[in-house]
Amino acid sequence: MRFMMLMIPGGYETAAPGTVPEDVERVASMMAYNKALLDAGVLITCDGLHPPSMGARVSFPSGKPVVTDGPFAESKEVLGGYWMIDVASRDEAIAWASRCPATPNEVIEIRQVQEMADYPEDVQAVASGFEEMQTTAKRLG
Amino acid sequence: MRFMVIVHANKDTEAGVMPSTELLAAMGKFNEEMCNAGVMQAGEGLHPTSKGARIAFTGSEPVVKQGPFDVTSDLIAGFWLIDVASRDEAIAWMKRAPFAAGAEIEIRQVFAAEDFGDALTPELREKEERLRAQAARK
Repeated sequence: MRFMMLMIPGGYETAAPGTVPEDVERVASMMAYNKALLDAGVLITCDGLHPPSMGARVSFPSGKPVVTDGPFAESKEVLGGYWMIDVASRDEAIAWASRCPATPNEVIEIRQVQEMADYPEDVQAVASGFEEMQTTAKRLG
Repeated sequence: MRFMVIVHANKDTEAGVMPSTELLAAMGKFNEEMCNAGVMQAGEGLHPTSKGARIAFTGSEPVVKQGPFDVTSDLIAGFWLIDVASRDEAIAWMKRAPFAAGAEIEIRQVFAAEDFGDALTPELREKEERLRAQAARK
């Protein structure tokens, strides 16, 4: 089963545009962790995200799109990055997240990815072709 | 440049309510357009946080908290990864997304190797590229 490990770094909601990781040792320890995920055949993909101050939100309050530039005043927990992993169980996903060289201000949220088989039959019928679409989409990275 | 489009959770997604057939069909068409334009790299929906967990690293040992988590505008229900020429293009694509009234999505640029500057030493960068190539073969 596939899981997303969502990295939520405290304080990132107010990080200035252009903020990047600068601590070489920390980047190196994260790389070692990524390598461990990879060597175990668990890692599908991972990415880091620029701060919300460089982002935008599109909301559809009445069905019509409204664009708001970041940062977003009401946000308390924002995404700093993620890993997509393939493991046998939720417990295994939690065990992997627990091994992350994270800092005290960081929280990792584990969420299972919806597979086609999780949908009811009528939904599967309408969504058929989605998996094929995913494999024909551009390769990651 | 690559962007992650985060679809925010709401009471319905957290309750496991499935979108209507009409909305699914419209979303399928939208995804197809993005694929045909060479924009879409990935897109997934996530199970509600009731099936999830959080791991905090405040003490010496990681602390696991089981879901569900309070429904705030910060919770996530799904995402796309798209590759476009600019933030404006990402916004333009997402304004066309066939969402029902009340939906909210967030557009965030993905870090590229060159964004890290000196912290990503040439050695680390090479390692990172090797790792990505290896993961992509899975």
